[in-house]
Amino acid sequence: MVQTEPVLEVNGLKVQANTPDGIVSLVRGINFEMHAGKVLGLVGESGSGKTVTSLALLRLLDRKRILVEGSIRLMGTELTGLKLSTMQSVRGKDIGLIMQNPMNAFSPVATIGSQFVETIRTHARMTRNEAAELAIAAMEDVRLPNAAELMRRYPFQLSGGMLQRVMIAICMCLKPAVIIADEPTTALDAANQLQVLRQLDRLRENNGTAVLLISHDLSVIAELADDVIVMQRGQIVERSDVYQLFDHPQHAYTKQLLQARPTLKAREPESLKEYARA
Amino acid sequence: MSLLQVENISHTYRSSNRLWRSGSLTTVLSHVSFEIERGQCLGLLGSSGAGKSTLGKVILGLEQPRQGRIIFQGHDLYYADTRAARQLRRDLQVVFQDCYSSVNPRMSAEQIIAEPLNNYEKLTRDEGKRRVGELLEAVGLKADDMRKYPHAFSGGQLQRINIARAIALKPKLIVLDEAVSSLDMVNQTRILSLLSELKATFGLSYLFITHDIKAAHVISDSLAVMDKGQIVEHCRDKSGLADSAHPAVRELFASVLPEHPRDRGLGRESAIKQ
Ligand SMILES: Nc1ncnc2c1ncn2[C@@H]1O[C@H](COP(=O)(O)OP(=O)(O)O)[C@@H](O)[C@H]1O
Ligand SMILES: Nc1ncnc2c1ncn2[C@@H]1O[C@H](COP(=O)(O)OP(=O)(O)O)[C@@H](O)[C@H]1O
Ligand SMILES: [Mg+2]
Ligand SMILES: [Mg+2]
Repeated sequence: MVQTEPVLEVNGLKVQANTPDGIVSLVRGINFEMHAGKVLGLVGESGSGKTVTSLALLRLLDRKRILVEGSIRLMGTELTGLKLSTMQSVRGKDIGLIMQNPMNAFSPVATIGSQFVETIRTHARMTRNEAAELAIAAMEDVRLPNAAELMRRYPFQLSGGMLQRVMIAICMCLKPAVIIADEPTTALDAANQLQVLRQLDRLRENNGTAVLLISHDLSVIAELADDVIVMQRGQIVERSDVYQLFDHPQHAYTKQLLQARPTLKAREPESLKEYARA
Repeated sequence: MSLLQVENISHTYRSSNRLWRSGSLTTVLSHVSFEIERGQCLGLLGSSGAGKSTLGKVILGLEQPRQGRIIFQGHDLYYADTRAARQLRRDLQVVFQDCYSSVNPRMSAEQIIAEPLNNYEKLTRDEGKRRVGELLEAVGLKADDMRKYPHAFSGGQLQRINIARAIALKPKLIVLDEAVSSLDMVNQTRILSLLSELKATFGLSYLFITHDIKAAHVISDSLAVMDKGQIVEHCRDKSGLADSAHPAVRELFASVLPEHPRDRGLGRESAIKQ
């Protein structure tokens, strides 16, 4: 297979926070590449630095307290050092973000429709009506029922699964080259989880989007990722093809993550015991 | 006699949202009946909105149902006299999903865990400290951790503190409402093993409420599935659930994500129909 140019290249990414207890390293020099139409899984337990990494890529960390070093190249353009105003247009248009709690992505006081239309119009020259039509078509595309009616609703009137699909619909309209999905299904029940992963996969397939899929849940990774990086305490301890990772994990931490999963298969009570402590 | 008898419970909410079907009555629970035996864990499954948490509140005595009875240790929970009710409350504890909002951030771990003890038992300061220390060790933390405040604990550790508080009075039944759902997989597995261990040690019974069939399967003895306020399946032997033909149960199984990438895509066809 011919190796394509990466869409996103991260080199030596370091994040340090200034805290009352001194300087703390949150991300310790990580490197990875993302490719068009591919899903890169980022897995690790909570606190390992996954969210900090995604916020660093988008430059959404508090600049007064947090120092970010390293190189982030989007289709050949260096993002670190870009003016904040330029970075604002990169967000959404070139790099889309889907967060764990979709409620945080919306303003509670405006309708879904007005927020959707405004978002489209900040990135593309379009009339309100054109944008609304595009929005409705995209919501139907992610199989949201009664899309026209949903436009008039407020975020709190939609379930978490529906809001997450609205986020994906917005990404379908803006067609960013990269989508960062940070635990996009963790707050959802099983049926909604599968539906959202399915729509994310269609978006990738239709637009050739490169997806960074962040999850603590290896089942989510098993369902969608092509390649996987494993993060522990701010470092990447293993990277491999998804089949390779499940069949031949190399690092002890990866093996531990693979073992520590509730499963429908009966398991030896003894092997469970060791997890009760610590 | 069963530890808990849930008898023909029905409940409705009056929608308070003016923008949205104003003032209409919605049935949340409809003729729900089941029993939990001593030392057993019943896993209560269902998609979100099925009515699981409402049923949990009804069983905890927090939401009086429009119809039906909750019989706990032989007493009608909503019509017990004050003294009996106090004893029943003591034997009935709860752990919720959101471990951070379940605790007061200004209370130390010691104060959080000692609260139920202080309500029910006259302990000296030293006895109290010793009991809290023992409880912390029972849930896999250190006795020294009692001095710390919630912000100093991770989600998994805080859920251990909530469990320590729930077992402080040696209750008979604990309602666990999505108690591991917001934890990462490593911590989910650890807490599930801890709960199994505590159940065996103290002869506890659980009502384990969750949308996650894997977690329910790991910890439960029997499994029930709730759909639109009704129990649509109840298997005394949890392995029987896989044979159920009910659409709500099939959907639960179809939505299970693969344990290995070779099984990916299996559930997707059913998800498209929704
Ligand atoms: N703004 C911040 N300031 C200081 N520390 C932070 C900040 N945000 C996150 N952290 C810490 O960084 C570590 C990694 O956090 P996070 O990236 O959220 O983990 P994950 O997403 O993998 O669960 C944690 O120990 C967390 O407490
Ligand atoms: N306090 C309330 N007032 C009105 N409706 C409620 C209230 N609590 C829950 N509901 C509704 O009752 C139904 C069942 O909710 P819940 O018991 O929380 O389900 P589950 O825990 O299975 O997700 C949902 O449709 C929910 O919107
Ligand atoms: Mg995170
Ligand atoms: Mg609930």
